[in-house]
Amino acid sequence: MTKKSLPYLATGGDLKDLEQPGFYPGYSTMAQKRSWEDATRKTVTKRVTETAPIRFFSEKEATLLRAVIDRVMPQDDRAEERTIPILSVLDERLYKNSLNGFRYEDMPPDREAYRLAIKAIEEMAQHRFQQSFHALTVHWQELILMSLHDGKPEPANAAWQEMPVRRFWAMLMEDCVTAYYSHPWAWDEIGFGGPAYPRGYMRLENGLPEPWEKDERRYEWNAPVDSLSELREESASKRGSEHDHKGSH
Amino acid sequence: MPHRLGAMQTLPSPMRRFQENDLVDYCIVGVGSAGGVLVQRLARAGFRVVALEAGPFWDTEKDWVSDEKGSHELYWNDLRITGGTDPLALGSNNCGKGVGGGSVHWAAFAPRFHPSDFRVYSEDGVGVDWPMSYWDLKPYYELLEREMPVAGPAWFPWGDPHGHPYGPHPLSGRGDVLVRGCTKLGIRSVAGGPVAILSASHGDRPHCIYRGFCIQGCKVGAKASTLITHVPNAISHGAEIRAHAMASRVSVRQDGRVDGVFYFDREGKEQFQRARAVIVSGYAIETPRLLLNSACPGHRQGLANSSGTLGKYLMAQAGNVVAGRFEELIRLYKAPPAHALSEEFYETDPRRGFARGFAIQTVGPLPVAFAKQMVAAMGAWGWGMRRVMMDYNHWSTLGVLGEILPWEDNCVELAEEKDQHGLPVAKVTFNLHDNDKKLIEFGKQKVMEIMWAAGAKQVVQESRFAHLVGAARMGRDPSTSVVDKFGRTHDIPNLFVCDGSILPTQGSANPGLTIQALAARTADYLIKQGDAIFFSNRRDLSEPGIRYDLSPPYTRFKGNPRIA
Ligand SMILES: Cc1cc2nc3c(=O)[nH]c(=O)nc-3n(C[C@H](O)[C@H](O)[C@H](O)COP(=O)(O)OP(=O)(O)OC[C@H]3O[C@@H](n4cnc5c(N)ncnc54)[C@H](O)[C@@H]3O)c2cc1C
Ligand code: SF4
Repeated sequence: MTKKSLPYLATGGDLKDLEQPGFYPGYSTMAQKRSWEDATRKTVTKRVTETAPIRFFSEKEATLLRAVIDRVMPQDDRAEERTIPILSVLDERLYKNSLNGFRYEDMPPDREAYRLAIKAIEEMAQHRFQQSFHALTVHWQELILMSLHDGKPEPANAAWQEMPVRRFWAMLMEDCVTAYYSHPWAWDEIGFGGPAYPRGYMRLENGLPEPWEKDERRYEWNAPVDSLSELREESASKRGSEHDHKGSH
Repeated sequence: MPHRLGAMQTLPSPMRRFQENDLVDYCIVGVGSAGGVLVQRLARAGFRVVALEAGPFWDTEKDWVSDEKGSHELYWNDLRITGGTDPLALGSNNCGKGVGGGSVHWAAFAPRFHPSDFRVYSEDGVGVDWPMSYWDLKPYYELLEREMPVAGPAWFPWGDPHGHPYGPHPLSGRGDVLVRGCTKLGIRSVAGGPVAILSASHGDRPHCIYRGFCIQGCKVGAKASTLITHVPNAISHGAEIRAHAMASRVSVRQDGRVDGVFYFDREGKEQFQRARAVIVSGYAIETPRLLLNSACPGHRQGLANSSGTLGKYLMAQAGNVVAGRFEELIRLYKAPPAHALSEEFYETDPRRGFARGFAIQTVGPLPVAFAKQMVAAMGAWGWGMRRVMMDYNHWSTLGVLGEILPWEDNCVELAEEKDQHGLPVAKVTFNLHDNDKKLIEFGKQKVMEIMWAAGAKQVVQESRFAHLVGAARMGRDPSTSVVDKFGRTHDIPNLFVCDGSILPTQGSANPGLTIQALAARTADYLIKQGDAIFFSNRRDLSEPGIRYDLSPPYTRFKGNPRIA
């Protein structure tokens, strides 16, 4: 974590160092690992116990990107030791140059795209606030990222002439959510059942929990009051997809 | 440890290995949906067959996991370039790499095409007619529905109404949403199938355990993939499946016939497999790529491309996903994503102002896929992403599956970029046309309406595409198509294409069942023609007659309900 959103109010009060955010207190997918078969247990356990070293990004690049990731996939509410590694997962993908099977014709290769974007974001920060991106306040960081999210980089930067900002944004978000929501702690947060072979599921209807799952316990949850990344009504309407993915039928 | 195929089955061993210089009857490139069925049929009929597969020979117990991120390797992840006005996402959105191909990660929806799909030009004045009719293919639909086998309703009311050999699956939360919404609006729906997933155990395959990881490969062995339905039987009958063998070029002799396939082996060394005939079954992108990369003197524009249509008329189906948030819990991760559907809007309705139609189907994104959808559908990021994902269990998802027409400018070509073997990669261009856009808009609105009717409190949608087919289409006229109705190229008498690329149009049914039914039909043709394929240039287009004795064990004449 580079900088916490604190002291801004969130989650109905101060952001706490939560073991487990979300509406399923006490639910743990990892507690079920004995009921998974070997290959899955190995893959998922490794995700929790091992964090790959940063090998692709330089230290400077990593510092900036870490700050970006802390805003686009914030974890301020998570206790330090329950923070889900994201940068290292992205770094490993680029280090191994593991592709997702295609490149848009108007995009540079993934590795170049990230390098280009990092440079651009740093220049934008310097230009607009005369400081390094990672040193900016959370609000200023969000202002810059918000402009990328909206597809209207503010201030303009030459990099976005070389690659469409929306495509880079989609790739960044996809890399971040892939790392976060493939982690069992995120599954606990959202109440996802996780792996279930060989046992399977038996309660298919009405959203009923399996005996080892937990029922939802809702409470009022708010993002930090000043955050720009909270969902806005207009952002939910009429957006096309810039980056399609896993078809499911 | 034996090589496992699902929870109960093991790979027959030993597998036959042909020698380096052996001449085989058939070399098949790609062991996917079509290739798997072909190799099984041809081996059973006694031909010497080698099938080259670019990816690994999966051991389902060791290699597969119940995990989204951990299943990345199931897909064709090598570079491709995508462009056009509506560029298609490739990678995990289209074909597999490894024995079983796309049937490893398909959701296994298995509806048939409608009779009208084979005559869209005659009926609606768009696209083209097929060089065959629904009735030519119908016996093969019934056959493959038993071989996979397909579970579903006893009465499927659309197209040519039919039943299914295995009973429907129990209702899931997201299937219930589809049925509820459709019923509210007076739209007919079915649930529990048709899907190529076992609702009861079958031979050496157990039934579904409703864990919802179908797209990550079914470790259970309940979901049909040619890896477990046809490949084991092919090996028992003496076929060789050569994994990690990436075909680079089909070789042409002086006399204009092909004589084998060059490929890169596991170590990256180039090898040659001699064959009396070659069948390319590499998917709608890799098939045209291989034929284009095989250009040689006399075939400057690529093999089988005298018409100039190779790589053209590529199609994808519109696959907009509509997500609805409900007050109550849904838990959309349970049970197979492929679960309930409606084909009420499948056929042309002139009042809608566009030709052809769409289906409505359940989809079941797991957390990573769902989060990605929320990036696109809601612009979610930061705290907004965290918030929407905390409600993951309250969301349900439905998909539009819409027919996009075949257009010449939607195509596969060769790019400047090369792959790890130095072979030019595919460049895919995709543009939506007027009819497509109108259809998508209508379909999207309709599915959103259904989601609201089901009681959703919030409805969002993301546009995307699924199921690439076309690009080496079949037809009667050699000047406008690549292959004839049996998959034989118009130009080269012993070179065939058999996979999704030969589809002239695509309807709004998922293509997998049709692709496998066509493969079984092509196999019957090849078997009937016998040695003539290897020597004669004469093209006999008479129907072969269906062979019921070549099905894999446990499937012959098993339980197809006969309905009026
Ligand atoms: C997420 C997802 C869900 C889907 N769900 C459904 C569904 O529910 N119902 C449905 O009907 N369809 C579904 N599909 C589509 C379906 O998977 C494909 O239409 C089908 O598998 C295509 O069959 P094919 O024989 O043309 O190619 P594939 O099955 O893709 O097989 C091609 C094979 O050839 C190999 N290959 C390619 N080039 C070479 C080469 N040069 N050398 C050696 N080997 C090569 C590949 O590795 C691959 O194994 C889905 C697809 C996806 C991506
Ligand atoms: S839901 Fe059924 S078919 Fe799908 S992966 Fe699980 S067991 Fe296999």
